[in-house]
Amino acid sequence: MKVVNFAHGELLMLGAYATFWIYTYSCLNPYLVIPIAMIILAILGVFIERLCFRPIMGTGKLNEVFLSLGLIYLFQNLAAVFWTTDSRSIHSPFSNVSITIGSINLPVDYIIIIAITALCLIALQLFMKKTTHGRAMRATSQNREAATLMGINVERMDMLSFALGAAFAATTGSLCLITGQMVNPYVGSIPAVEAFAVVIIGGLGSIPGAIIAGLTLGIAENVVPLLMQYSAGLLGLEMSFSAWKDTIAFIILIIVLVIRPTGIFGEKEE
Amino acid sequence: MKLNWLNIKTGIEVVTLILAFLLPQILGINQYLLTVLILMLVFTMYASAWNLLATSGQGSLGHAAFFGIGGYVSAIISNSLGLPVILTIVIGGFFAAVIGVLIGLTCVRLKAWFLAMVTFGFAIIIQTVTVEFSGFTGGWDGIPAKKLVPVTITNHVMYEYYIILLIAVVVTVIIYMIMKSRMGLALEAIRENELEAKVMGINVTVYKLKAFAASAFFTGIAGALEIHHFGYVTPEVYGIDISFWPIIYSVSGGLYTIGGPILGTVVITAIWEVLRSFGMTYGRFILIGLILILIVIFLPKGLISIPEKIRSTF
Repeated sequence: MKVVNFAHGELLMLGAYATFWIYTYSCLNPYLVIPIAMIILAILGVFIERLCFRPIMGTGKLNEVFLSLGLIYLFQNLAAVFWTTDSRSIHSPFSNVSITIGSINLPVDYIIIIAITALCLIALQLFMKKTTHGRAMRATSQNREAATLMGINVERMDMLSFALGAAFAATTGSLCLITGQMVNPYVGSIPAVEAFAVVIIGGLGSIPGAIIAGLTLGIAENVVPLLMQYSAGLLGLEMSFSAWKDTIAFIILIIVLVIRPTGIFGEKEE
Repeated sequence: MKLNWLNIKTGIEVVTLILAFLLPQILGINQYLLTVLILMLVFTMYASAWNLLATSGQGSLGHAAFFGIGGYVSAIISNSLGLPVILTIVIGGFFAAVIGVLIGLTCVRLKAWFLAMVTFGFAIIIQTVTVEFSGFTGGWDGIPAKKLVPVTITNHVMYEYYIILLIAVVVTVIIYMIMKSRMGLALEAIRENELEAKVMGINVTVYKLKAFAASAFFTGIAGALEIHHFGYVTPEVYGIDISFWPIIYSVSGGLYTIGGPILGTVVITAIWEVLRSFGMTYGRFILIGLILILIVIFLPKGLISIPEKIRSTF
């Protein structure tokens, strides 16, 4: 629907919290809690769309930026008030289990995460390309008026987009939590910015672009600092560039956007 | 009727100015309140500068970069060359403007969200670079900066207040002149419709770069004033919060107007300080977030449009 919610990272954080609290009170297998967290966040996503983004629809892109800022402040600090700023974590039931393939020791958790990620991406791609609703969503994104004329309920599509986006954010947050990352009210910001950088580099609205950009960025963030350290070493400098991790993502983002303002796989704007 | 309203408006402006000059005298020399007022003045400049760029349709999410560059450059030059602070503040502003043009060059072809991300990223890049060059910048510990007015003078905070007030008034007048000039009109035309502006013979690229340079210049000056008031500068000056504040001030006060950012800064800072005195830590942010959301939805022209709204209902 060509709307960007900069507060998406906050949904990720809330998703992780949802998993945390349901897990703490029910003691279910955390992986089984994820669908519940997804549903809760999907409902929240619909509310955000209805109450906040619907009224400013068509009043200019900058208003979305400002609204998102408000949402970031709101969610982060509501979470801080209700759940304090303590970092919380849970233990995966499979944390000690790992499978040995050749000389590589792979924790089962990682395999499950890769499987869930692949499953989600394939399901999303199939949904967008093959089902009526997915096609309607893409049509809405391409041209709202034409979509309306074709009998698509564009407002319902907006809601669906937000619900799906929020649900996937919840999945990401929950998976991060289960693999042992801490959750506190401020964890959402950096992943959201990085996710958005990935989407922009790949091209807005292109799922293959997002996958390629995501993998490239993930590798570059870890390899480039080492390369820089190596070349500094050749010059006789003892420097560590580990702090450059986030910076490199943005340097790549700027370079890509200077060359191609719509991202690598982005459609040309009208 | 229109003349009447104009009179009222000038009246409000004059009263505000007189109040700004008399306030320290009325309140007495309360260090805490003076500091709040000084920061308020610095941020009115900062918000007005951000708003100037936004007028051209370029909403930056990383203005803290220019704020910090102005501060660091001014601090380093005044420390190493021993130039008077007033001069180094201007040099800091010029340096920020040069960097602003460079960033503007990458942003010329970009639209709303893309531009927001590039500027946001730039603030993070510049923070990392600043920390890395710890020889000049002292790394995360930062470096000391000369005070605007030496501490040895009695009532130095009061003098600082008046110096900054004077600079703020000058900056506001310059921004007013820019907004009312051909350039201001061109920027508005570009914001409303870039293609049409181009067709009308406006050189979009040049005007966008000019807006970036002017905005970065005044932001750099504001940043330099802030750090010379505090007496030190650390990489936290590039923080995300510092980037977001001018946006909150401008949006709540009234975008694309001259009075809006100033009104917004005063009102939001006042709310902020009152809430602080109630001992709210997270509640303040929640309330500010709520105010921002409600204003974007229900009062898109900001607080400054309230009189207009009241008049149109009667």
